[in-house]
Amino acid sequence: MFTFLIRRALTLVVTLLIVSVLAFLIPYAGDGDPARKILRARVNDPALDPAQVEALTHELGLDRPIYTQYFDWLHQVLTGGFGFSFTSRTPVQELVVPALGVSVTLALAALLLALVFALPLGIWAATARGGKVDNAITFMSQSAVSAPEYWVGPVMVLIFARYLGWLPSGGWTGPEYIVLPAVALALRPLGYFTQVTRAAMSDVLSAPYITAARSRGLSFPRTLVRHGLRNSMLPVMTLFSFWFAGLLGGSVVIEVIFNIPGMGRLLYTAVLNNDVPVIQGGMLWILTLAVVINTVTDLLYGVLNPAIRVSSHG
Amino acid sequence: MADALTTRPIKRPNQRPTPLRSAKSHRPNVLSLLLRGAQGRHWTFAFGVVLLTLVLLVLVLTPWIAPHDPAAQDLGNRLGGPSGEHWLGTDHLGRDVLSRLMWGGRFSVTIAAITLAICAVTGSIIGAIAARRGGWLDELVMRTVDVLICFPDVVIALFLIALFGTGYGTLIAALTISGWTPFARLMRGLALEINSKDYVEAAEILGSPKSYIVFRHVIPNASRPVVAMGFLRFGHKLITVGALSYLGLGVQPPDSDWGAMLLDAQPYMERAPSLGVLPGAAIFLSALSVTMIGQGLDLKKRRKRASEQTAIPVPPTRTALVEGEAL
Repeated sequence: MFTFLIRRALTLVVTLLIVSVLAFLIPYAGDGDPARKILRARVNDPALDPAQVEALTHELGLDRPIYTQYFDWLHQVLTGGFGFSFTSRTPVQELVVPALGVSVTLALAALLLALVFALPLGIWAATARGGKVDNAITFMSQSAVSAPEYWVGPVMVLIFARYLGWLPSGGWTGPEYIVLPAVALALRPLGYFTQVTRAAMSDVLSAPYITAARSRGLSFPRTLVRHGLRNSMLPVMTLFSFWFAGLLGGSVVIEVIFNIPGMGRLLYTAVLNNDVPVIQGGMLWILTLAVVINTVTDLLYGVLNPAIRVSSHG
Repeated sequence: MADALTTRPIKRPNQRPTPLRSAKSHRPNVLSLLLRGAQGRHWTFAFGVVLLTLVLLVLVLTPWIAPHDPAAQDLGNRLGGPSGEHWLGTDHLGRDVLSRLMWGGRFSVTIAAITLAICAVTGSIIGAIAARRGGWLDELVMRTVDVLICFPDVVIALFLIALFGTGYGTLIAALTISGWTPFARLMRGLALEINSKDYVEAAEILGSPKSYIVFRHVIPNASRPVVAMGFLRFGHKLITVGALSYLGLGVQPPDSDWGAMLLDAQPYMERAPSLGVLPGAAIFLSALSVTMIGQGLDLKKRRKRASEQTAIPVPPTRTALVEGEAL
């Protein structure tokens, strides 16, 4: 367990170093003068003084070896953050933190919604294995997995916002604004959760200890809850956390469609506007969180399931 | 490794060893795999095969059967409804929607297929090498897989676009970086399993060269799960390509694909809902067909595995779940 932890921590550090090098290189890639790009991140003033640009080029020593420039940048990031956004002239942290909050809310809402429907459906399919119900649920889950959210979302907006007028079509100013994007976002995880629940549950239900419990006179619903659920929830929970990490920055399309000020849209607009500090900050935040969340999940998995810990290679 | 057997391989001209039954029946022939495999499978498998065949047939025949030039504008007939001339109506520039769906589909499916092929080949090779070599190389590969697998692919694409700008190269690179990992992990597991088999050991003792073992035993035995994984990932790729095009970061004008068509349709959703429904339906049906085929191919294996199971089942590992291996 200890070596596992060390290995994971090491992986995280190496990953962050590689990602930070790539993020550092963004202003140097593509067209334009890196000095101008870097200066715009440092000075809270949209109009750049040419003399200042000249001075900075000299001061930064863009002729110096690139690794010294990288370490300077890294030092700046670790002590003072990523600087100012090119477009809104606010510090990157003040943009990233609220956006992350929005994305966490949206992701949790969507995934909990998916879970609430997926668990009963998956269990139902597993108990009725091979039957009509199982077929129908399998078909539904395959359909859900194949439905692009950028198709479902706008169609739902058309129906529920434009035609029926029940819900707002976009924005993020009240609880009713979360419904449509959460449903659109929930569809694909719903399909995956259902399939995994079904697979895990039918594996568990065919285990000898279920037969043993039944033959001791335990009723079927009780067996299902006490033995079945407890042993089949682990894979579902890990899939949940995987999706959670993925949706923190990965729900770009839905956030753009519904005009939600989350992490995905922040990154997207930053890329469109070539807002280098925001791209650098946003990328590092999202990718760090993704690795951390998945590492923690792996740790929990090992703690909760000794059988995996023994056989796991990492 | 300097023993006599490896330095002087035994030559057997014109005398190929009798192929093992298992090796022969697992020849990597996708078509026969599909046709032969239909019996005893879930009905959704057959449904998926029919659907995919239809989609591919239409896309292949597009240059001959598309009723109009997909770029021909007719500003006098903007957002027109279905008619004898335009079966599925016209878009905001008066272009024929049916023809655009056909030509756009060629882009979507081709890009998804190219990236998938690159992912499957590189991923499988890396996985097989990691399994064969072991040690630090294996460790390095698996740690990389662990990390890459939890990065959302749209975020990877945004990162690359920030570095290199939009373009087909960036698009394919982004989808490959996020897509080779499941194949590497799958292949590594399969190769470890196959390498420990008696027939591989027998071949090694007989002095067969490594390439012989790889081509005769490892590839034939691993092809079926890799093909199944390929089908499962195809739908995912198709949806991601569409998402990037929808964001204006994938296929660039004047080219157009299903995702870009959805983007174009957004301002006109109310006046012409079919514009925003049809391209999405095309992505949905294509993705559904390959998902059904992939899961159908996977199902038989799982059934067999389940019937062999006697001990308390160990739940699949986290990454296996994530890759859809257990679905």
